[in-house]
Amino acid sequence: MAKGTSEKIRRKAITLMCALLVAGFGAAAISLVHWQLIKGEELSAKAMEQSLRSTGLPAMRGTIYDATGTKVLAQSASVWTVVLEPHYLAENENLRRTVANGLSEILELDVQDLYERTGVAGSYYDVIARKVETEVRDRINKFMSDNKIGSGIRLIPDYKRYYPYGTVASNILGFTGSDNSGLEGLEAYYEEELSGSAGRLIAAKNAFGTDMPFEYEQIVEAENGYDLVLTIDETVQSVLEKYLAEGIEKFKIKNGAVAVMMDVDTGGILGLATHPNYDPNDPFTILDENLLKEIEAMPDGEERDEAKSDARYTQWRNKAVSDLYYPGSVYKMCTGSMGIEEGVISEDSLYTCTGSEKIEGMKDAIHCWNHGGHGTTTFREGLCNSCNPWFMHIAGLLDVDLFCRYREAFGFVDRTGIDLPGEAQSLLHSKENMGEVELKIEAFGQNFSITPIQMITASAAVANGGYLVRPHVVDRIVDEDGNIVKNADRSYRRQVVSEETSAILCDILRQNVASGTARGGYVSGYRICGKTGTSEKVDKHNQDLLEDPNARMTYIASYCGFAPAEDPKYALLVFFDEPDDLENGGYTAGNAIAGPIFSAIMQELLPYLGVEVKYDDDEYNEHRDTAAPSVVGMTVKEAVAAMREAGLEYDIEGSGEDEEDWDRYSITEQIPEGGTTVPQNGKVVLFTTGYNVNDVMVEVPDLFQEEMINAVYIAAEHDLQVTINGSRDDDAVVMMQGIPAGEKVKKGTVITLTFGSKVNTDIYTPE
Amino acid sequence: MPAGAVRPGGTARGLRRVPGSAPEARQEEPKKKVRRRKKHYKLISLGEGLDMPLLVFVMVLLAIGLVMLFSASYAESYYRQNDSYYFILRQGGFAAFGVAAMLFISTVDYHYYHKGKMTLIVAGGTVLLLALTLIMGTSADEATRWLEFGPVRLQPSEVAKFAIILLFADFVSRWEDKMDTFTYGVLPFGLVLALFAGLVMAEHHLSGTLIIGMLGMMMMFVGGTRLRWLGLILLCAGVVVYLYMNRGGEDSEAYQMSRIEVWLNPFEENDETWQTRQSLYAIGSGGVFGVGLGQSRQKYMYLPKPQNDFIFAIVCEELGLVGAMVIMILFALLVWRGVHIALNAKDTFGKMLGLGLTFQIGLQAALNICVVTNTVPNTGISLPFFSYGGTALLMLLGEMGILLNISRSANVEKT
Repeated sequence: MAKGTSEKIRRKAITLMCALLVAGFGAAAISLVHWQLIKGEELSAKAMEQSLRSTGLPAMRGTIYDATGTKVLAQSASVWTVVLEPHYLAENENLRRTVANGLSEILELDVQDLYERTGVAGSYYDVIARKVETEVRDRINKFMSDNKIGSGIRLIPDYKRYYPYGTVASNILGFTGSDNSGLEGLEAYYEEELSGSAGRLIAAKNAFGTDMPFEYEQIVEAENGYDLVLTIDETVQSVLEKYLAEGIEKFKIKNGAVAVMMDVDTGGILGLATHPNYDPNDPFTILDENLLKEIEAMPDGEERDEAKSDARYTQWRNKAVSDLYYPGSVYKMCTGSMGIEEGVISEDSLYTCTGSEKIEGMKDAIHCWNHGGHGTTTFREGLCNSCNPWFMHIAGLLDVDLFCRYREAFGFVDRTGIDLPGEAQSLLHSKENMGEVELKIEAFGQNFSITPIQMITASAAVANGGYLVRPHVVDRIVDEDGNIVKNADRSYRRQVVSEETSAILCDILRQNVASGTARGGYVSGYRICGKTGTSEKVDKHNQDLLEDPNARMTYIASYCGFAPAEDPKYALLVFFDEPDDLENGGYTAGNAIAGPIFSAIMQELLPYLGVEVKYDDDEYNEHRDTAAPSVVGMTVKEAVAAMREAGLEYDIEGSGEDEEDWDRYSITEQIPEGGTTVPQNGKVVLFTTGYNVNDVMVEVPDLFQEEMINAVYIAAEHDLQVTINGSRDDDAVVMMQGIPAGEKVKKGTVITLTFGSKVNTDIYTPE
Repeated sequence: MPAGAVRPGGTARGLRRVPGSAPEARQEEPKKKVRRRKKHYKLISLGEGLDMPLLVFVMVLLAIGLVMLFSASYAESYYRQNDSYYFILRQGGFAAFGVAAMLFISTVDYHYYHKGKMTLIVAGGTVLLLALTLIMGTSADEATRWLEFGPVRLQPSEVAKFAIILLFADFVSRWEDKMDTFTYGVLPFGLVLALFAGLVMAEHHLSGTLIIGMLGMMMMFVGGTRLRWLGLILLCAGVVVYLYMNRGGEDSEAYQMSRIEVWLNPFEENDETWQTRQSLYAIGSGGVFGVGLGQSRQKYMYLPKPQNDFIFAIVCEELGLVGAMVIMILFALLVWRGVHIALNAKDTFGKMLGLGLTFQIGLQAALNICVVTNTVPNTGISLPFFSYGGTALLMLLGEMGILLNISRSANVEKT
């Protein structure tokens, strides 16, 4: 090795090394500085942009609770949207087949369609199923992991609305659409409060589009919606709906019905049942049989689709808020209040009813329902008779100006502002257009249209000392942690009449139920105030007459009242739109149809609401039930003594029938139970040990449509007792029986029978 | 073999000569020389005469490389292989085996590759392998680069790089005095280079061809070939490459040409620019200090095959400019140490062999980083010690073993 060569090599090698280091690494280093320092932020932003996907985080819709705060009426639960990302599948034939087959099996979709949809390269978002349950999501996840599918199918969280009580309160609750926004009822009215605000998840995704475990994850939390606690009590609501359905069935109601119960002091609605209704879990299915039949009878086509859509709107409609009706004679409680308040009459004022009254400018005279006339009566008697001329007389004394002022004060002009969507605007004769005819007809509740909710609100004012409350169904809005966000406005809007006037009216209305024309709503053991109403659908009749000269008048049978009379707490309005009197045995009157339903509802709900039964002397009512003393646990001797003291008959079943054994046995059971109703002249059956079960069980007979005397007789034959609610008119027959026919009960069991009379005490046009 | 091949008095760790022990050691020396002369390899103490800085640079780069490979391949390996450890386990195995091989090879006297027909066998074998690859190789993309023998997958172009270094070192050492003549200084080199580069190019392996060509030319330059000849060869090579790229009809033409377009417009949004674009996004995201080890976003399927040629982009993203610079400095130190060792070799063959091996690493690293940063068009060069690839790593560590062996005999002041 020559020294020169070695030196040359050294020189060249070092030159080359330097060239390499400077040119190669130097250039690279300059590049790095360029990209990382100068362009760093720009490139970083671009990298972020491509790797960050912003996903909407749905907010959970608030829950709707009933008044007890424990029963959930509407609730959201997690569901999933299945999204296909065809871009990641399109190129792999086997994968497409696997995905299409797997998903079609799990989601029950068409295989071929799915297969085609997996083939769209460039598409990253194709929704194939919405609102799938968590269980289905788990199956999809398992399918994906089993088949090692890392991308191409995405599951996006969503919520679905559930209504655990089905049809209960459907017309109040409303329902939500597929986008979770409220479409009807409270869901629509309180959309903003319930919906909350959606959040966003800004997360890093790999190029396959699935999440990557990278720290950059920014969550804008979804704010869940507020919960609603209603004034609606599920128990009350269910009872209202139960009896409404029974009434519709029994009386062949053609056009729906409403029952509303209100707390007269706060305006809180305890229950609001309307018919037809629907299941908010499945709002598009038509539940009403009549509507369904009508639609099915139609030939396929546009007309049928239209009818179907109409039927849906009908069943979604809240009749109590959105429908107008003539209040009929129920309105007389308002007219009467006006007269007393203004001092133009007193409860003892006299007026003579001749059976009809002629008004100037009107061809036919206006009749009282009693064509013979009621003769000279006090106002108290006039209201209890539901005497039309009496109220025309009051209106005449008040004149248009005062009448219209009170009409407005009672809340008939403005909407009530109830927190439900679609409240209708009442239709009234304006003050300017109101002549004598209009005035005097309005005086007894005809020829002007208001909503049921306006009527019950006005009746609450009559009941509660004259205060016009704000009807509402949401008691309070609370956040996730239970903090109250907003309370319902429980204040009253104004005082319409004085407490004295209210007290007078209450007393008269109580007498009306005990012995007047509103006996249909009588409930044994309670003092109830009530007024019947039978609205004649005159405008509809007039239209019908144009088509058919023999068209019959149709009616709305209603009953509005409140209880207990001594301190009214709960008002209830029941109304049935168009009872089919040709089918139901000739019943059209409020007293006959709405009264018994009202009575049955009150009978069931007043104990639940904590209103005590009192069997004290009632100056208006010759009918007196008593409460059974409680004797269970006493010896027979003591029990018998207690019965004698209470003036009640008794029977002893089992050992100890002989007087000498009375000390040896004690009472194990009594019927009726302690504290419950024993009918007038009734008895208590005392059970000791050793009775034969078969001997004491009896079957309840069917008493429907039986006259009172027969019903009592048949019941006695079966060793049963009856307590009589409702009408006591001569022609009254059993409308409802508290225990259904065929049920086995023990001897002595008291069956509540609600009677109804055909006599229509409210109409003014001659039939 | 020069007497200094085994340093007298080297301790087991070869760290420091202890003056007091020197005479004792010298006494033993003659016996050993006699006994070991005929053997070209001998089991000596591993640390004996070993250049520690070089070993440290290699091991540090390898360690960083493995860590970064794990980080970069993690996501890819999870999504593609369903096992996050797929790449790192394989590479780790190769690395462990490679380090063992390196240490073993460092004990094999490098003259062994020079003696007898060894050089010829290596050269012939490489040509055979390259030819075999063309006939029965395995393809990836459109290039045919691998030979498969059962589970073993060999990339003959890696072998070819070594063969060129070995052959040219041999040539130079044989004809060092006649290197300025055409007959010795150009012709044999040119023919061998044309043969090897041609075979690799036939595999559509552009980067391999480029590395082989550049390595060959560098060795010729250092060896003493006249610059005008080198210029001429460069011209010829340029013409050939140009013709190769412009031969009509085949898809590969567009493939190679578009690299230039990608280089010029890396941010144009199309499929061709994707890799370069994502690489630059990754580098840019890193900033000065990086997003943190393991925190890369770009490795999540954005940067294709982040464990391969573009691993340095992930390094830049995770460790930032600082980390990238440290790694480049480590490479530079390695090159410096390699050149230092080579130049201190006792003979021309040793010098040329050491320089060739060192330049190969330096060239690859520089080219790779330039490609990743879009400083030069994308050619597909892997980053030594970092990129995934068993053959390459084994070859690389083996070559480092040779360099270490040269260091044992070189006049390098050991530290």
